[in-house]
Amino acid sequence: MIGLICLLGTLGLYAVSKRIYAKRPKVYLSPLLITPVIIILILTWAQIPYESYNKGGKWLSSLLQPATVAFAVPLYKNFKVLKKHATEIIAGVLTGSCVAMISSAFLAKCLHLDTSLVISLVPRSVTTPIAMNVSQDIGGVPNITAAFVIMTGLLGSMIGPMVLRMFKIDNDIARGILYGTSSHGAGTSKAFENSALSGTISSISMIVAALFTLGAAPVMMHMLAH
Amino acid sequence: MKNIVKGTVQVAALMIFTLLMNKLAELLHLPVPGSILGIIVLFILLETGIIRLEWIDLGASWLLAELLLFFVPAAVGVMKYIPMLKSDGVRILIVVIFSTFIVMASSGLLAAWIAKQKERRASQ
Repeated sequence: MIGLICLLGTLGLYAVSKRIYAKRPKVYLSPLLITPVIIILILTWAQIPYESYNKGGKWLSSLLQPATVAFAVPLYKNFKVLKKHATEIIAGVLTGSCVAMISSAFLAKCLHLDTSLVISLVPRSVTTPIAMNVSQDIGGVPNITAAFVIMTGLLGSMIGPMVLRMFKIDNDIARGILYGTSSHGAGTSKAFENSALSGTISSISMIVAALFTLGAAPVMMHMLAH
Repeated sequence: MKNIVKGTVQVAALMIFTLLMNKLAELLHLPVPGSILGIIVLFILLETGIIRLEWIDLGASWLLAELLLFFVPAAVGVMKYIPMLKSDGVRILIVVIFSTFIVMASSGLLAAWIAKQKERRASQ
């Protein structure tokens, strides 16, 4: 029962925050920030543990995987555009993904964070299901990684427009690569606000980044450890 | 109304397809998760015409349009780590912001540079 209420409440809050965001597209009004913050406040106030909430919430989480698979559709529809820009995408994504893993681990180490946190930070720039997978593989804590992934998505969509202005990146392709590589799904929805082309390139960049990180993270961890 | 039924059926089909891909990845002991295998297999099926785009187009665009919603429960899960975030939150924030910034700058600038080179070559 409580699960059902939590599920319906989440859907309702999400629908309302999405409406508000459509009227006022400010980062701090992003549905991915507002909805969980309000839910956490309510759960804390009503003293409902996360496990009870997740009895309803897990139904939504279970749609994350089919939604990831659904990326095959824009991939298929835009394959021509993607082939045309394959060099930029592969070069940008591979460089960005390496920078993401190395800089996360390096900065975290410099700031004397706990080893489990350092490892959990490594895959934070790719989409949640894959990041959690990678985290498990390399000895991190998948749940903590999920939190870092979401943080990355939110912060990425906040600082993205600033980075674009700062470095005068006005090319739609480059913008898509920047968002998809750095901040996965949340970045991709930001890229779609920019243009349909940026959004598409961002989705493919996100997929390539996920695939690459999945393969490269264990190797990278091995190298960093020595 | 017809579209609601159609979209729902398509979403269900994508869910079943994902379950099958998870099983397949497990059976073959593949190092990739089912969702990534699913992207690749579905793409190949579309490209070869075995699955027609209109069979899944509506359901797929629904799922993609509400992608953020599916992240919400995982985001709420952060509440389990509030004590940890209280002690290390600032340092974690610094790592995420700085690292994201240089990831954006490196991937964006490199891609913009290559795109420019390509344009230049094309116009010559």
